[in-house]
Amino acid sequence: MSWENFRFALFEKAPEALFEHSMIVVITITIAILISVPLGVLLTRPKYKGLGLVTLNVLNVLQAIPGLAIIALALPILGLGMKPAVVALLFQSLLPIVRNTIAGLIGVSPDVKEAACGMGMSQRRILLEVEIPLAMPIILSGIRTATVYVVSIGTLAALIGAGGLGNLIMGGLALFRPEYLLVGAGLGAIMAITLERSLSYLERRITPPGMRVS
Amino acid sequence: MIELKQITKQYLGQAMPAVENLSLSIPEGEICVLVGPSGCGKSTILRMINRMIEPTSGTVTIKGEDVSSTDSDQLRMGIGYVIQQIGLLPHRTIAENIAIVPRLYKWPKERIAKRVDELIVMMGLDLEKTRGKYPSQLSGGQMQRVGVARAMAVDPPIMLMDEPFGAVDPIARNHLQDELLRLQKEIKKTIVFVTHDINEAIKMGDNIAIFDAGKLVQFGTPEEILTNPKNSFVENFIGHDRVVKKLNLYRADDAMQPVGCLVKESDLQSAGQRMKDAGTEVAFLLNEVGQRLGHLTFAEFEAGKGDLEGLRKKVLRTEKAFVQISTSLPDALSLLLEFDSDYLGILKGDELCGMLSFKDIRKHVYRKDGE
Ligand SMILES: Nc1ncnc2c1ncn2[C@@H]1O[C@H](COP(=O)(O)OP(=O)(O)O)[C@@H](O)[C@H]1O
Ligand SMILES: [Mg+2]
Repeated sequence: MSWENFRFALFEKAPEALFEHSMIVVITITIAILISVPLGVLLTRPKYKGLGLVTLNVLNVLQAIPGLAIIALALPILGLGMKPAVVALLFQSLLPIVRNTIAGLIGVSPDVKEAACGMGMSQRRILLEVEIPLAMPIILSGIRTATVYVVSIGTLAALIGAGGLGNLIMGGLALFRPEYLLVGAGLGAIMAITLERSLSYLERRITPPGMRVS
Repeated sequence: MIELKQITKQYLGQAMPAVENLSLSIPEGEICVLVGPSGCGKSTILRMINRMIEPTSGTVTIKGEDVSSTDSDQLRMGIGYVIQQIGLLPHRTIAENIAIVPRLYKWPKERIAKRVDELIVMMGLDLEKTRGKYPSQLSGGQMQRVGVARAMAVDPPIMLMDEPFGAVDPIARNHLQDELLRLQKEIKKTIVFVTHDINEAIKMGDNIAIFDAGKLVQFGTPEEILTNPKNSFVENFIGHDRVVKKLNLYRADDAMQPVGCLVKESDLQSAGQRMKDAGTEVAFLLNEVGQRLGHLTFAEFEAGKGDLEGLRKKVLRTEKAFVQISTSLPDALSLLLEFDSDYLGILKGDELCGMLSFKDIRKHVYRKDGE
């Protein structure tokens, strides 16, 4: 271990790696939310209810494939770089969000929905003003799970040239420089914990006041 | 006002139709109660009125207009809807909950705020304490008040209420029923009220429709139904205490007869003759300044003729046997027993306006229609 190596890893390498890693996480999670939440909503509409179980099973299978395998599979299909990494990670971050969106929406009391409908609120209004707000804490908790997951598995993305904190870790392994390893893994852990904490704070904040368990 | 014409509702995968060939016309400005055992199709009927459910065949018209040709959201905005489970939005305050329909109508903010306050007060809730609370902070009875207030927010001419007080405790339920009846005297809405409780139906209904397994069995006023149950189903549904239930429909002044004979205290010894002359069996006694002392029957007079002091005492034993005309017949009956008296004097304010005996009550309950 040398201080020089450590300093170099932390100040010269880490900023870029951290930026790339954040990009991977932000892009993946944003796309995952944009796909999963509407999908979850759709699968809880009476018309498509039958598809819900099928979709969940498919996503379950995708989730069960090890992250490394998915990333390895992405390489021959999508080539090198950040794009295939994002796609590979995306596959696995869909499930927790879809699953929680469905669970959250199904969990909204049918009495509340019936009353809302009986008062003449349109289906759209009921979704936006009643169902989603009431399901939000659970949806957010799915997003939190997916985020932590992408931060950690994201380190493997370096294997297909996506950069990020994985680069530091791989570099450390290849060059026998434990300082790199330490900085890469340490920053990854700090990032995961920070995001986890802030999202769970947000989750508590957006829980409607009338529903908080005090 | 609301007209159901040959309505049938067959749910998918059910052997029997939930509602079968129902024709019913619900009068304007009155409470029409749909009553029957659980599962007989009451909620289904109610929900076909505001198109939460579409009938398999038949039409529903409101003020002559076929509801299936209206926009269902618009239709529902104009009809108050209250359900047993209330369904307040848990993430909205009480004020926001009540404001839902006014907001759908895009009322200006100030108008909504004013109406919300008005309704909270009208429902007997504490304005300052209630407005900003969340539903989970209220009791069941309070929540149902909010549910009713919410349904009345834009003053809709029609209210549909599906077992609205079924989930609150009996004391709160009684209160809510009384208040709805009191309110209804002023607001005169067309209310379709669903319950499985025949007592509630008798209490709340101007008209009652009794259902059995999706079919209308009898439609009529509570009095008609209690007097002439159409068949054994209705009879059983009403229960063995049919007559007592019927008593509940009447007040003392419905059954009383005029006072035949008033006697001054100083004329007590001539009371017998006066009763004979007036052709009545009871005399009410007044003291010198016109205060009521009680009453004396002819038989009592005959038995104690010689002993004026004894007669006076007898009269004074019935000193309390007077009730107001608004007293319900069961209460009057109970008081007759309690005072161990043959008659009750009936008061209107402070004025003696009639009298009531066991016989009067019996005659009234068993009188033929039109008598
Ligand atoms: N959505 C539905 N799908 C299938 N059957 C239903 C549905 N709703 C009600 N039913 C059936 O229709 C009958 C009448 O139900 P309902 O109108 O709720 O009765 P009530 O309100 O008098 O208890 C019952 O046998 C019930 O099981
Ligand atoms: Mg019902």
